[in-house]
Amino acid sequence: MDKLSYNLYTPKPTHTEMSITTKQSTVKAFDSLPVAIGFLIAVLVFTMFLVGYDQGQLFSVVEGQSAYDTMWIHELTHDMRHAAGFPCH
Amino acid sequence: MKALTLVGITLSSGVIAGIILAFLNLGIVEPTIDKAIALEVQKQVSAGENVNMSELIDYRYWQKAGAFAGGAIYGAGLAALFGVIFVFARNKLPGKNNKQKAMFLAGIMWFVLFLMVALKYPANPPAVGDPDTIYYRETLYIGYIMISGLAALGMSVIWIKTRINSKKIIIPLMYAAIMVTAYVIMPPNPDKIEISMDLIQTFRVLTAITIGVFWGILGIMFGSLWDKFLSKEQTLAAKLY
Repeated sequence: MDKLSYNLYTPKPTHTEMSITTKQSTVKAFDSLPVAIGFLIAVLVFTMFLVGYDQGQLFSVVEGQSAYDTMWIHELTHDMRHAAGFPCH
Repeated sequence: MKALTLVGITLSSGVIAGIILAFLNLGIVEPTIDKAIALEVQKQVSAGENVNMSELIDYRYWQKAGAFAGGAIYGAGLAALFGVIFVFARNKLPGKNNKQKAMFLAGIMWFVLFLMVALKYPANPPAVGDPDTIYYRETLYIGYIMISGLAALGMSVIWIKTRINSKKIIIPLMYAAIMVTAYVIMPPNPDKIEISMDLIQTFRVLTAITIGVFWGILGIMFGSLWDKFLSKEQTLAAKLY
């Protein structure tokens, strides 16, 4: 079959098929061990900041200076912070 | 290896272990936190401060509910570290199966990241910490965790790389020497303790137990899920040593 015939008679992938292919390649890109390890380390740093260290810093990004008085994250994780051995007020 | 599966089993085992920890704390540790807060309130009242009791009670309900979110977040975070170390260390961990290997690693991590740190900077209930020293205490605490964690990591690498017979004695002694030095050099917690030491000691023992149980559950969960979903997968470990 010449190239023209191939183009004419070979069925093109449908929109759905292309979407599945794209999704598979996206999943494949994230399904690599170095990416997983980097992600898990980011999770470690962020969660330890939330449970052990936040004194209003995270919400101050949107709430401004008052976040340091309300300390939502600190109060939410307060009892776990004490029970896990982290310093607290 | 199936990296997304690794992330899935790691975070789910951490979140489940963290929520179980929150349930345990609710029954075991919370009574001592409530007693410490009652002492704190008593002190405020004696000093002539106005304390809105109904607001305080509502607040405590919210904090106790928040402990479940806190447990899930705490569990996910420590499990993330656990998962990364397990991937690298699995081939060298003792144990006949992944559950035993995971349990062994969990025990080591509880010892290195909690118990050794608690000897220098033990957990305190409310009514002990001074808000003015919080950042200083946080720096000391994270510094000590880093010293203990990195020392253990260094000793593990030496353990794998050396072939001397007496390493079972020498390497733990090297870790002990580093931790004794750190214990002596690092400054003490600056806050004065003004409430009953009995209450504080009870709190410390109970938290060491519940955090130990948390690590145990994390190890069992992670090892079981690894056996179910990743038992046939090769890890990075083969390339490392």
